[in-house]
Amino acid sequence: MQQAFKKAEKALAFLASVAILLLLWWLLSLGLKSPAVPLPLDAGQSLLQSLRGELLLHLGVSLYRVLLSLLLATLLAVPLGILLGKDPVIDNKVAPLLYLTYPIPKVVFMPIFLIVLGIGDSSKILLITLITFYQILVTTRDAAKNMKKEYVSSMKSLGASSWDLYRHVYLPGCLPAILTSLRLGLGTALAVLFLAETYATQTGIGFFIMDCLSRMNYEEMFAGIIAMGLMGFFLYVLLDQAEKFLCSWIHL
Amino acid sequence: MSVDYLSIASLHVEYLQRGKTITALDSVDLSLSQGKTGVIIGPSGCGKSTLFNVLAGLNDRYAGQVLINGQAPRGGGETALILQEYGLFPWKTVWDNVILGLQLRKKTPREIQSQATMILDKLGLLPLAKRYPAQLSGGQRQRVAIARALVLEPKLLLMDEPFSSLDALTREEIQDFLLEIWQETGLTILLITHNIEEAVFLGHRIFVMSPGPGHIEQIVENEMAGDYELRGKIPFLEMCNLLRSYLHRRKKYAAGV
Repeated sequence: MQQAFKKAEKALAFLASVAILLLLWWLLSLGLKSPAVPLPLDAGQSLLQSLRGELLLHLGVSLYRVLLSLLLATLLAVPLGILLGKDPVIDNKVAPLLYLTYPIPKVVFMPIFLIVLGIGDSSKILLITLITFYQILVTTRDAAKNMKKEYVSSMKSLGASSWDLYRHVYLPGCLPAILTSLRLGLGTALAVLFLAETYATQTGIGFFIMDCLSRMNYEEMFAGIIAMGLMGFFLYVLLDQAEKFLCSWIHL
Repeated sequence: MSVDYLSIASLHVEYLQRGKTITALDSVDLSLSQGKTGVIIGPSGCGKSTLFNVLAGLNDRYAGQVLINGQAPRGGGETALILQEYGLFPWKTVWDNVILGLQLRKKTPREIQSQATMILDKLGLLPLAKRYPAQLSGGQRQRVAIARALVLEPKLLLMDEPFSSLDALTREEIQDFLLEIWQETGLTILLITHNIEEAVFLGHRIFVMSPGPGHIEQIVENEMAGDYELRGKIPFLEMCNLLRSYLHRRKKYAAGV
């Protein structure tokens, strides 16, 4: 009963936020009187129309790029992060390298990626992978480093192998931190995606938006912006749900 | 002469901390017969946990002789370890925590099912099987930790301050519970505690440890341990006082009084 009430309250708060957002948008649009910021209803109509056209295709390409990048980054960063976090000897050797390279804005390497890997998907995907890789790596390493000693000792006293420790202790124990870093990384990934898609490409939502801009097709441009925003939102919700499902022990 | 189940002779353990060698344990001799309970008591920093790490097979860089049933300690053997904060994994349910050791020993799903069900049932934990540790009380968590150790049918149970975070009443309940387990299984138990009453209630042999470097200061034979009715009786209180005097003497000596 109380739980149902809480749920209803949450849904209501969410709807209210959406309403406030739409209202602000509507006011902004009325105030600016610019074709670049259409009224919400007009924008919604043009979004539906654009989706029937090319937009869906571009959206699909972008989604593919960002999902593959995040997947690659996770597969690379999580095992390495745990390895560094649980083994101080290796960590001491690698830490200076991380320290030196972490603050470099990796996005400036985009031109190099374009030259070396060409203008296809791989340069974009690898650029996003590289950037999110760092975020996930550092968070995972810190989480593994802070793993309670008791967990490791009690596992070892059961005669556990390294793989057992990995599977039963480090991976599940670091998972909340990993998913948090993924949620943070998602924002970065989408921003980098947009940038990467505005150069030397004919596909992707970034291209679509900039192409509309150059053709002064503001309606479609705005539809593209909303589509990208919604894509980000749904990916975020997806990760949020994944966290609730995979880390149910935190949400008791 | 009976052969001791657990025997430690001239144990010496050092470790490196920021380039300096620190002696954690020096000339430790300790022995315990099969089916007896031993209690280690002493101030912080006297090397109690270091000793346990050696016994649990977590640290094999030591000098001296350590034999458990005639063999050097190793993880996953006949020794079970229960740690201060229980070492239960918060991301696993009670059930998954308990079956973990069986899984690591590559038991069949059928064996796992039957053994875990049996032990949980015996400890009255079956209704809690699907809960996570965070949803349990301190006493319940302690029971789960004991269940997780017992399901592996160990011969030696090592407990590092197992009851330190329990309230007084729960603490006595769990002490009784441990006694029950001990009587039923005939386990050899070695337990670390800060609590004098607990030491006298549970330990047939009490080892008083001192720091700097860690060593055994005094061994107190306490055959009255293992009796539920013991608490509050005169001999019990006398033994507590004796133990207290040993611990205080050591403290004064350390403080230079």
